[in-house]
This record gives sequence, C-alpha cells and structure tokens, in this order.
Amino acid sequence: MENIYGQYKERVEGVMDDLLYKLNGYNNDIINAGGDPVFDHISARIKSDRSMREKLARLGLAVTPEMALSENVHDAVGVRIVTCFIDDIFENIKQIRALKGVTVLEEKDYLTNAKPNGYRSYHLIISIEEPFEDAAGATPGMWYAEIQLRTIAMDSWAALEHRLKYKKQISDTALIVAELKRVADELASCDVSMQTIRDMIKEIKHEDSAC
Amino acid sequence: MKILLAEDETDLANAIKALLIHSGYSVDLAEDGQYAVDFAAQNGYDAMVFDIMMPRKDGLEALREIRAAGDTTPVIMLTAKSEIEDRITGLDSGADDYLTKPFAMAELLARLRAMTRRARPEAASVITYANIEVDPSSSELRAVNSISLAFKELKLLELLVKAEGKVITTEEIYDRIWQDDPDTSTKIVLMYISYLKNKLRSVGASCVITGSPESGYTLTEG
Repeated sequence: MENIYGQYKERVEGVMDDLLYKLNGYNNDIINAGGDPVFDHISARIKSDRSMREKLARLGLAVTPEMALSENVHDAVGVRIVTCFIDDIFENIKQIRALKGVTVLEEKDYLTNAKPNGYRSYHLIISIEEPFEDAAGATPGMWYAEIQLRTIAMDSWAALEHRLKYKKQISDTALIVAELKRVADELASCDVSMQTIRDMIKEIKHEDSAC
Repeated sequence: MKILLAEDETDLANAIKALLIHSGYSVDLAEDGQYAVDFAAQNGYDAMVFDIMMPRKDGLEALREIRAAGDTTPVIMLTAKSEIEDRITGLDSGADDYLTKPFAMAELLARLRAMTRRARPEAASVITYANIEVDPSSSELRAVNSISLAFKELKLLELLVKAEGKVITTEEIYDRIWQDDPDTSTKIVLMYISYLKNKLRSVGASCVITGSPESGYTLTEG
C-alpha cells in the first residue's frame, strides 16, 4: 500500500523543515539581539501513515493524499514548541503571527481553560504558503500545520498522561486520573510562581539600569 | 470519628472503650505509652485520650513524641493525681484538656465533643468570594480553572477574603503568616502577593488584589 501522502511526501517534509527554519529563525534573531531564547526546544513530526488513515476514516473523509493535505485536516505537520516560562508561550504566538506567509487560522487556549483532566497547552492551526504546488494543484501552495505551545512542566505532564491513555488494563485508574489532575494544578502553580520570580528579577534589572 | 485511647488499667480501659463505642466512636486501645506512639504514627485520629501513669512510656512522654512528629490531634489527659503541677506539665506537653480521676463518663464524652467540635470546621470549610473557591483541605484555588496554592499563599488568600474588603497592611500580613519565620523580612509579603495575583489571574478569578507595600492590600471584585 502506498504511503498516505503519496507523491507529496517530500513536499510535506519540505513544509515541516521550512516551518522549523522560520521558528528557529526568530528565536536566533532574539538571542543575537541579546535577548533570552523564547523557547527551550522544538520537536516536529509528520503524522504517521496509520494515524492519518485512521483520522480520515474517523472523519468520514476520503482516504487520499489530497484529502490528508487539504484544509479539512490540518495536522499532517505537527510542531511542538516547549518553553521555560508561561509568558514565552505568548511571545512565540506573537512571533508566529508576524511570520511572512504564515496565517493563524484557529487557536485553542487550554492554558486559561485547562481540560478537565488537567491538560494545559496552547494550540494553533496555521496555514503556510510555499513556492511549490500544493495537493490541490495551486502554486504558490497552501499548506497546513498544527503548533502546540507549552512549558516544560506542561510537556512532561502530557508525556505522563499519554502513558495512561495507552494502558487499557491499568488498575486504580480513577486514583491515577485524580492524582494526575492534582499534579497538573501543582505544576501550573510552580509555572506561575516561576513567571512571577522572573518578572521580579526583570524589575530589579530595570531599577539597577535606571540608577 | 476515631479515638485513640491509651490506658493500662484493663478494667477502666474496657469500660471507657465500651462507652465510646456505644456513643458512636471507633476506638483503638493502646496498653501503654509506646503502643500509643506507634498507633498515632500509623493512623489518623480525631481525638486521643491518654492516661498519664503507664508502663514503658508514660502519657506525657508519649504525648511529647507525638507532638514532636507534627501531630496536632486534640488530646485529653487522664490523671489520677489532682496536683496542679501535673495538670500544668500535661498542658505544656501538648495536651488540650485534662480530666482528674475519678471522673464521670458523661464529662469525658462532653469534653470529647467540645474538642472535636473545635478541631473540625476550620479544616473542612471551603471559602468563597466573587467567583473563586478556596479549598483548604486540598490547597486548591478554583474559578474558571483550578490551581494548587502553597501553604502560605493559602493563608494569605484566607486573610484577604476574611478582611472583607478592608485594607491589611504589610506588617499585619507579615505578623500573621510569617511570625514563626525569623529568617524572613517583610519583603516576602510582596513576593507572595505577586504569586497570588498571578495565580488568581491564571484561574480566571473575577477578583483582584490591589495596593502596594506601603498602603497595604485589599481583595476586591472586578
């Protein structure tokens, strides 16, 4: 069976590389200008053949490369930006909005509205224009990606929670779910405290330079 | 409610135990002070009743050890002697109340009721203000979202809510919450006010802390 991205496979990889290049670009510009990096690290993936086929089938869409890369499915390319501090998430969003050829189509704020299980993250769906033809035959091409932004603490929590999802035969599920929720709220508390301390250090720096 | 009874005189111990069970309490019986310490380390109790004169470890020693471990469960001491010195030592060792033998069982029950009544409501009551809920038992702050609070953040928020819109000065806050921390200065208050401000915002609270280190602070809606 042919890969779900068919003849577009290399172009999808090109979109992911270009997006990573753009994200690293603004971070490097900020560092070179003497600022602190706005993220700790980025990871990226192309949705696996199997997951994409499952998703298309679940949504009742045609299981074709064209559909997988259409505006109906936005996450063939997925990027995760992991930051040290909460405010950096919003700085990244600001930088992403300012990127040439990139448009934010949709956003979900799970920071202000954490999911009931404790999940916190900020999700963006973006379109990105590329000089090469897209799966609908247009040039320049319109491609899509999902960007998830979260702190290191939120990211390690999500990694832990992810393990629970794939363990069907886990005993004491209710207890673990409740404990995960409690820990999510404790990590959020630490994230806010660290942001507060960081702001205070900045204020001290300002006062010093004013003297 | 669960009571730990430490009494070495078998007849009296059984009589008290039977009475307590009859009155709806569940009871663990320790035959000496050492057993009492062991029981207290393993289980949580709503109240404890300790005889003073016991083999291996007396009631006072057992009580001091339990208090040293951070256990604040209310304790009634039973003493055969009615000397003032004994009562003072008992209270100073961490007892909340005492009864001199012989005593009326009805009085023991009444004192237990009074003690557990005092201990209970503070631990359990959820505080509400504007759209926020503060649950002291889980240290949780809830509004649109929820977040955990550190112990001193919780105390500070309780203080601000209970002030009902009145201004509390930095010194008042410091005296109330940091009185046992000689290594801190009043600057810590601003730090904790800042933590709380940001945590209130992060849960989508409809109330804010306003003020400054000089003017003091108040919690207001809006």
